[in-house]
Amino acid sequence: MQQAYRYAVLYFLLFSLLLLGSSLLLFEDKIGLSVTAVLQYYLGNEEKFLVEKSWLTILKIILPHIFAFGLFFMVLLHFILFTKYKKSKQFIKLSYAIFIVGFLELSSPYFIIIGLDFFAYVKLISFILLELLLLYTLWLLLASIYKH
Amino acid sequence: MRFTLIKNLKEDMAMKPLLNGLLVFMLLYFIADFFVVNATLGLVSEDIKMTLFGNIDEFIDPMDKSVFLEYLHGQIFFIMMILLTLSTVYARLCSIKRYSIIVINILMISALLSLTTLFISYFYIPNLVGVYIFSFFIWHIIAFIMALHSLWNLNFATSI
Repeated sequence: MQQAYRYAVLYFLLFSLLLLGSSLLLFEDKIGLSVTAVLQYYLGNEEKFLVEKSWLTILKIILPHIFAFGLFFMVLLHFILFTKYKKSKQFIKLSYAIFIVGFLELSSPYFIIIGLDFFAYVKLISFILLELLLLYTLWLLLASIYKH
Repeated sequence: MRFTLIKNLKEDMAMKPLLNGLLVFMLLYFIADFFVVNATLGLVSEDIKMTLFGNIDEFIDPMDKSVFLEYLHGQIFFIMMILLTLSTVYARLCSIKRYSIIVINILMISALLSLTTLFISYFYIPNLVGVYIFSFFIWHIIAFIMALHSLWNLNFATSI
C-alpha cells in the first residue's frame, strides 16, 4: 500500500477509536450499562420520567445506524484485505460475527418492547461484544500498519 | 476505491466524471458545514460557550450531556468518512509523495484535535474552546484546498 494511503488508513483507525469511545459514553448516558437500565429505557419508568419507547421511536433511532453500521463495518473490514489475514478463516469469521452482532444490537429493542425481557441481556451483550470485535479489528489493522 | 488502481485517470471516461462529482459535492459540504456549525454550535468563542454552558443572565440553558454526545458521535462519523475519502482521492491525484503526506497529516491531526478539544472543553476545560475553533478552521481550509487541488489536477494536469 502506498505510504499516503497508509497514513489515511491509520487516521481512520484513530477516528474509529473515538467513534467507539463516544458510542460507549452515549450508551452509558442514555441507556445505562445494566439489564435493569436497558429494560427501564425501553419499557419506561415513572420514577425516572422515562417514557415507554414505541415501535416508531426505536425505528427513528436505528434508521441512521442501519446505514452507518453497514458502511463502517464494510470500510473497516475491507482494509483487512490489504493485510496478511485476507485469506484466513479468521477474517471470514470476524466479518460474519461483526455483521451478525451488529444486527442483534439493532434489532433487540423490538423484542424487548413485545415483552421478551431476556433480550435486554442480548442488547447489552451484543453492544459490548460489538465494541470488542471492532477493537480487535482495529488492533489487527494497527499491528499490520506498524509492521510495515 | 477503484480509482486508486487506474493508471491514467484522464483517459478513463467513466471514473473522471465520478471523481469530479465527488469533489464538487465535498466542496459544497465543507462550505455548508460552516453555516450549519455557525447556526447550531457557533464559530466564535462566546457563542460556543453560550451554547455548551448556557447563560443565566439571558436564561439560556446549557447543552444537555446526551445531546452533546449525540452531536459529537455524529460529527466523528461524518468527518472520518469524508476525510478518508478525500485523503485517498488526494493521494492518488496529487502524488508528490512527501508533500501529500504532510498535508494529509496536518488535515487529520487538526480534525482529530477539533473533536477531542470540543469534548475536553465540554467536560473539563472550557477555555480549550479556542483550540477547537482554531483546529476546526484549519481542517476545513485544508480540506477545501485539497479538494480544489485534486479537481485542478484531475482536469488540467498533464498526467495523473
